[in-house]
Amino acid sequence: MDLTYTAEQDAFRAEARAWLEANVPAEPLPSFDTAEGFARHRQWEAKLSAARWSAVSWPEGYGGRGVDYIGWLIFEEEYFRAGAPGRVNQNGIFLLGPTIMEVGTPEQKARFLPTMASSEIVWAQAWSEPNAGSDMAAIRSTARLDGDAWVLNGQKIWASRAVWSDWCFGMFRSDPDSQRHRGLTFFLLPLDLPGVTVRPIAQLDGDTGFAEIFFDDVRIPLGSNLGEVGKGWNVAMATAGFERGVSLRSPARFSTAADRLIELWRTHADSTDDALRDAVTDAWMLAEGYRLHTYQTVTGMIEGRPIGSEASLNKIFWSEMDVRIHEIALDILGPHAERMDGPLERWVDGFLFSLAGPIYAGTNEIQRNIIADRVLQLPKGV
Amino acid sequence: MRFAFTDDQRAFADGLHDLLVHEYPPARLREAWAAGRGHEPDLWRRLADMGVLSMMVPGPAGGMGGTLVDSVLLFQQLGRAGVPGPVVEHLVAAPRLAGTPWAGGVVDGSVVVTAALDVDPFVAHADVAEVIVTPSGARHGYAVSAVAGLDEGRHLAEVTGGTLEPLPGTDELADTLAVATAAFLVGLGETMIDLAGEYARQREQFGKPIGAFQAVKHLLADALLKVEFAKAPTYRAAWSLSTAQPTAGRDASMAKALAGEAAYRASRAAMQVHGAIGYTWEADLQLFMKKAWALQRAYGDARWHRRRVSAAVLATPR
Ligand SMILES: Cc1cc2nc3c(=O)[nH]c(=O)nc-3n(C[C@H](O)[C@H](O)[C@H](O)COP(=O)(O)OP(=O)(O)OC[C@H]3O[C@@H](n4cnc5c(N)ncnc54)[C@H](O)[C@@H]3O)c2cc1C
Repeated sequence: MDLTYTAEQDAFRAEARAWLEANVPAEPLPSFDTAEGFARHRQWEAKLSAARWSAVSWPEGYGGRGVDYIGWLIFEEEYFRAGAPGRVNQNGIFLLGPTIMEVGTPEQKARFLPTMASSEIVWAQAWSEPNAGSDMAAIRSTARLDGDAWVLNGQKIWASRAVWSDWCFGMFRSDPDSQRHRGLTFFLLPLDLPGVTVRPIAQLDGDTGFAEIFFDDVRIPLGSNLGEVGKGWNVAMATAGFERGVSLRSPARFSTAADRLIELWRTHADSTDDALRDAVTDAWMLAEGYRLHTYQTVTGMIEGRPIGSEASLNKIFWSEMDVRIHEIALDILGPHAERMDGPLERWVDGFLFSLAGPIYAGTNEIQRNIIADRVLQLPKGV
Repeated sequence: MRFAFTDDQRAFADGLHDLLVHEYPPARLREAWAAGRGHEPDLWRRLADMGVLSMMVPGPAGGMGGTLVDSVLLFQQLGRAGVPGPVVEHLVAAPRLAGTPWAGGVVDGSVVVTAALDVDPFVAHADVAEVIVTPSGARHGYAVSAVAGLDEGRHLAEVTGGTLEPLPGTDELADTLAVATAAFLVGLGETMIDLAGEYARQREQFGKPIGAFQAVKHLLADALLKVEFAKAPTYRAAWSLSTAQPTAGRDASMAKALAGEAAYRASRAAMQVHGAIGYTWEADLQLFMKKAWALQRAYGDARWHRRRVSAAVLATPR
């Protein structure tokens, strides 16, 4: 065990910090859930990518720097420290990208990874359906073979950033006689094809951060599938593993939030209020605990001890921690927390956003089921 | 940056685990309770032979020369088995007796040492210990007056009189004890969850194992979450102390606060899953719960340790 960084890691951190300090926009960009904000975030991604900072853990050939997961954590720490913009192509770079690297054909890797790293193509995830939320195996959208094409029909919903995204990765039932997890296929397709209709949905904060997607006899070429036809469930589970595990919610995000919370406590709290003091300390311990846990997980991954169902523990932990950090912030703000246009507004916004965490990427109830069944080996439920 | 144990460290802990599974199942612990034994001389000798008792005693003094990082998984294993007696205290105190007349005895186990802090009103295991190591030195030749304790594997006493010999190197006694106890608590938490899981697989109601009910699943999943997320902070604290980091005190307190709360949560979940059986003297669960409840508050409770983290983290920046 050595919890200090190597000279090489320190140098990498210094390089990242210097670049970010020189390049991160001074003013925060408008929300990427608006048309203007989306475009500005895409420009930012192009800039990041040109300097090869958009996907540091990817191989150099695809636009990355080939650093290991520790390097990725270091980069993330610097990224959040610098207050850099949210990642508009996170579903591509952090979820689909690693999945393509794992199961994609050489052609798919060459075709999709570089444009993903540069955000020329921004990706949306089209899995959920009106009647297939937690129960994703209930997917009804279909893919039918017709000569030299797959023909897609059905409806997807809650697809984040799909309003302005270019492509989506979706799950479709390719075998009409199949049940549940079998007979699903994972497809990659552009969202501007004839027959695709994207209808924005306003989120809790009023912005159209997700969308419904309708497929009406949409024709896509054979070979649009990622992984084998009929094996989409397994591919999706690999993606979900990345989502719940380490890649989507890096510890730096919460360490930064905890530091900001401490700052808020210093400037706005009654320092003689012991309950608030304890709560802020707890928030710091949660963030620090998550950071340490992640370094331990990542060391294991580097040394060939991959993370399995324990990823579900991470997902519950970060999402509940995020809510908790924001609740405490609002407690410090007291009656001021009602105000939406003040300098502290982003705590209220952050609170709204944090409430989605226990729902997306598999609800926390589903994660608890997974932990109970696979980690604790309890009998299957009803 | 490498946050993992070495193969040797893991193998040693696995060896201890095997020994304890075979030599010290809960039935033995129950026998000790029934006989009023708060210390197990036979097991003690096995632990001495294996090098566990002298894990942190320097090599030249006959010990294993290990650091707290080398030992932290051992504390966790001792906790898993709920080993009674001053195991945690002895391992932590032994290296501090170098150069004293007890130095040899603490290595071969013929001298039993315990440890105590000023925050604790009683001394644990003073009835079997020859020496008490405290932050101010080594106390011996004292008189002991027993106090009934919650955990029958942890005999408590009020101690009077005796002689105090100043000792070098007792500065980090409190922090080391906090981390060792945190690891022990993590082990207790793991066992309580295991016991509850075993019971939930086998006990049937409404025609199915109770473990199939979601309320039961989620209770145990949440308990596991707490215990799993207490591990990395505990291991980190061991590293911080082993390498004399400036944050060692803060890190030790964070570990003890989190591990104590995690073990408590595990005890509540495990007891609820057991139903009325969990409320009996007969069930093994109590052997582990009571130790967790005792250790959760010994050597600084979560409140005390959280305040210490507060002081470090919320201090106004210069
Ligand atoms: C902000 C946000 C962004 C999202 N982005 C995307 C995206 O980009 N792409 C995409 O495909 N989807 C996305 N989703 C959808 C998300 O994956 C689903 O909301 C989620 O899987 C839950 O499905 P549901 O909303 O239909 O809820 P339901 O499945 O109807 O669940 C409702 C409640 O019932 C509980 N429940 C359901 N089944 C069980 C069970 N077996 N045991 C115990 N409790 C149960 C749930 O935990 C929940 O509390 C997003 C959602 C949000 C909120």
